[in-house]
Amino acid sequence: MISNSLLEVRNLHTHFTLGGWLDTKQVIRAVNGITFHINRGEVLSLVGESGCGKSTVGRTLTRLENATSGQVIFDGKDVLQMPASEFRILRRDIQMIFQDPYASLNPRLKIVTTLSEPLFCHKLVRSRSDAREKIADILERVGMDRNDMHRYPHEFSGGQRQRIAIARVMILAPRLVIADEAVSALDVSIQAQVLNLIKKLQQENGMALLFISHDLGVVRHISDRVAVMYQGNIVETGTKHQIFDEPNHSYTKLLLGSIPRIPMGIYS
Amino acid sequence: MIIMQRVLWIFKGRRLALIGLFWLCLVAVVALIAPLLAPFDPFEINPIMRLSEPGIPYLFGTDHFGRDSFSRSVYGARMAIIIGLGSVSVALIVGGVVGMLSAYFNRLGHFLMRVVDVLMAFPALLLALVLMTLLERSVTNTIIVIGIVYATTTARILFGMTLKLKEEVFIDAAKCAGAGHGALLFRHILPNLISPILVQASFIFAFAQLQAAALDFLGLGLPPEIPSWGNMLSEERIYVTRAPWLLIFPGALIILSVFSMNLVGDVLRDKVDPRFKLDIKGI
Amino acid sequence: MPLLEVKNLNLSVLTGNDLLPVVRDVSFRVDENQTLGIVGESGCGKSLTSLAIMGLLGGTPISMTSGSIVFSGQELTSLTNKERRSIMGNQIAMIFQEPMTSLNPVYRVGDQIIESLRKHRQMTKTKAKKRAIELLDLVKIPEPENRVESYPHQLSGGQRQRVMIAMALACDPKLLIADEPTTALDVTVQDEVLALIRDLQQRLGTALILISHDLGVIANTCDYVAVMYRGKIVEAAPTADLFSNVNHPYTHGLLNSIPVIDRDIEWLKAIPGRVPTINEKLAGCAFNPRCNIAENICTTCDPEQITLHDDHYVRCHFAKRGTND
Ligand SMILES: Nc1ncnc2c1ncn2[C@@H]1O[C@H](COP(=O)(O)OP(=O)(O)OP(=O)(O)O)[C@@H](O)[C@H]1O
Ligand SMILES: Nc1ncnc2c1ncn2[C@@H]1O[C@H](COP(=O)(O)OP(=O)(O)OP(=O)(O)O)[C@@H](O)[C@H]1O
Ligand SMILES: [Mg+2]
Ligand SMILES: [Mg+2]
Repeated sequence: MISNSLLEVRNLHTHFTLGGWLDTKQVIRAVNGITFHINRGEVLSLVGESGCGKSTVGRTLTRLENATSGQVIFDGKDVLQMPASEFRILRRDIQMIFQDPYASLNPRLKIVTTLSEPLFCHKLVRSRSDAREKIADILERVGMDRNDMHRYPHEFSGGQRQRIAIARVMILAPRLVIADEAVSALDVSIQAQVLNLIKKLQQENGMALLFISHDLGVVRHISDRVAVMYQGNIVETGTKHQIFDEPNHSYTKLLLGSIPRIPMGIYS
Repeated sequence: MIIMQRVLWIFKGRRLALIGLFWLCLVAVVALIAPLLAPFDPFEINPIMRLSEPGIPYLFGTDHFGRDSFSRSVYGARMAIIIGLGSVSVALIVGGVVGMLSAYFNRLGHFLMRVVDVLMAFPALLLALVLMTLLERSVTNTIIVIGIVYATTTARILFGMTLKLKEEVFIDAAKCAGAGHGALLFRHILPNLISPILVQASFIFAFAQLQAAALDFLGLGLPPEIPSWGNMLSEERIYVTRAPWLLIFPGALIILSVFSMNLVGDVLRDKVDPRFKLDIKGI
Repeated sequence: MPLLEVKNLNLSVLTGNDLLPVVRDVSFRVDENQTLGIVGESGCGKSLTSLAIMGLLGGTPISMTSGSIVFSGQELTSLTNKERRSIMGNQIAMIFQEPMTSLNPVYRVGDQIIESLRKHRQMTKTKAKKRAIELLDLVKIPEPENRVESYPHQLSGGQRQRVMIAMALACDPKLLIADEPTTALDVTVQDEVLALIRDLQQRLGTALILISHDLGVIANTCDYVAVMYRGKIVEAAPTADLFSNVNHPYTHGLLNSIPVIDRDIEWLKAIPGRVPTINEKLAGCAFNPRCNIAENICTTCDPEQITLHDDHYVRCHFAKRGTND
């Protein structure tokens, strides 16, 4: 069972301190002792209230925030303890898709520069023409045109930018992708396209996915297992069907009860 | 052609600033072709003709050595541009490196920014005076001193802007893609700072003129024989009643150039990225 | 008399030397206590329409080429800047779409709320601070006494959005325009925020324009829905009527692409393709390249607005026939 799990998070804490030496100090326990694991090639969704610490979990796993305590074991290696230089190599395997496609691409860089960055940083290509070949390939895989690489981010719509962000992640063929609200800024029809794309790529590459979201419809569509988070803790984990059909925890029930439904009875 | 169009677009509705820009271009051209324009050698002493009135052939009159004031003014334009560009480069390079690194590496920042704070506690002119008294009078030293003085404000401003950029999501995204410190600083942060840096440069250019003139006037700036507008003021100030034109022409040149540069800077500031509007306040 | 009536609004954007239309012939009305929902794909002009109502297009390359906007008997487009300022933020408030860009990153969120309270309500500083804490509490931000001291980047995405909502509610507006107010919120908080707005409506008769791409939210909160595509309202109807009697293939496609909660599906039925950009010239109906029932007429002739029955309008050549996929 251990050998099957790709990522193991044990009793992870991430706290923030507000206020300096003049104000009174104020500790925010954004992530307060969570434990979960993700198997190889599995999609685990993390759902929960706004502000309960979902993004912080993702940011801690990629070491964008410093963990206060706890263990994160990725493929047998302790991610939090290893020196920064070693972690930079490991970044290739743990990638993150950010929520806001307008903010996650550097406005001053052409798409080709943004997409070659990971290739050169991880020494996956030898020459610029090599890189272009790969970039053209990945752009086509995410449903864009190879000539789009010579354009700037502001020339694309939100959905197209999110595809580019996905391309930047997929070009490294990572083993774990953390998608933080990757589709919530997109409108429904584009959201459906991008979701289908993520699912397709996930199945083709057999990568694991930590899908952070508050949209339960989307979560049901994409995940194998679901973890429900509440105020910095995970209160319930289970397969998709367990969570959606036989929820145990009262917060999960509340969550499922609050979904605004379209009167499908009328519309069919 | 496209550049002309863009410039006209930026300066649309700002006629005064456009005149300022025109004046600056004129000064630059004069500086470039100074040897062709100057009718006399600016260093040539001619005691017989000392303190002649403006007219022909001495357009701006002559000083107390009998040197042609017009030729000296033309070469003064050259000095103005050299001092301006020189101090801007020093200020931007020193200030930029200090500001960006301080914002990027927190620990280092704590230390470096305290040093900057201390330097900023002195009025700019006083700081320049103190530094100049420690050094020999020369063009290079003047440039270095003025550059250092304005490097402090530049460092502060770039510190603030870099701190803000550091919180941007695309920086996190680049980190995840594997970018190291160098790539983050130079590929991701710096290009986003170019337009505010340009604005800052225009203000430094203007203030460097004033600062250099003040140092020259106090006899601490450029060596006295060098034709600069500040030196001209300084050397002839005792003749203000007998030959007021010797002060009026260089004085007007300094004022016009500083004023023009400030006008241009204002326009550029209004066009800069709104995120940084609050940071750039001039000097 | 409706509280707000927009008639034949046309907006164009200046790119290079061309004036390209982005919003065309948009008309709608909102009465007191009523909620109008606007849905539509990204880039179809929803935000621009609301910015035009707020008079916030100055300084952008967007201009209003024709149309009228009447708010409680006053033509908004002909107001002087001063008259406009006394209405905006006070009688008409807006929740902007991007919480991160609308909040100033260098000021504490508390100070930003206090500032707006003092400007519009002439409160003293201590009173404004108390009210700010109350408002943050209303939008369910935990420990509001401490959170007023936070900077925007120290809040989660949803918390920032709730700060924006608190600011808009601060002045008890008569008309509230909410541009995607709950996209970053989970369903439970979304529920509470919508309840808060509903409460405001009941107390003060506030009218609400809700821009959203979440059809679930729209179905549950709005009295009337307008569906926009590429700058035009392609279908508009009272909510119940719209969902029971879908006529435009685009509305149909939107409903189909929602992941449903009650059963498993392998692949979502996305509408193929993308919204054409404003630079692309299209003959005929703007939706025709993506439409599954398009025929020749759709590529040559732009459909007129048809009234199906009272208050249900649609722009499609095949409207009466309905769509069956
Ligand atoms: N840099 C920071 N400094 C201080 N507090 C922070 C910081 N980042 C996050 N927090 C706090 O930590 C808590 C968890 O934030 P997080 O962004 O992880 O929430 P989330 O679950 O992603 O919420 P949402 O769904 O709204 O995005 C929040 O209360 C937030 O205010
Ligand atoms: N400042 C601007 N300059 C040029 N074009 C603009 C500007 N603002 C908006 N547009 C264009 O106007 C069109 C309508 O934009 P708008 O912001 O109203 O879309 P929206 O319906 O609100 O979309 P979303 O759901 O993504 O918020 C878009 O095609 C956009 O590219
Ligand atoms: Mg989040
Ligand atoms: Mg919008």
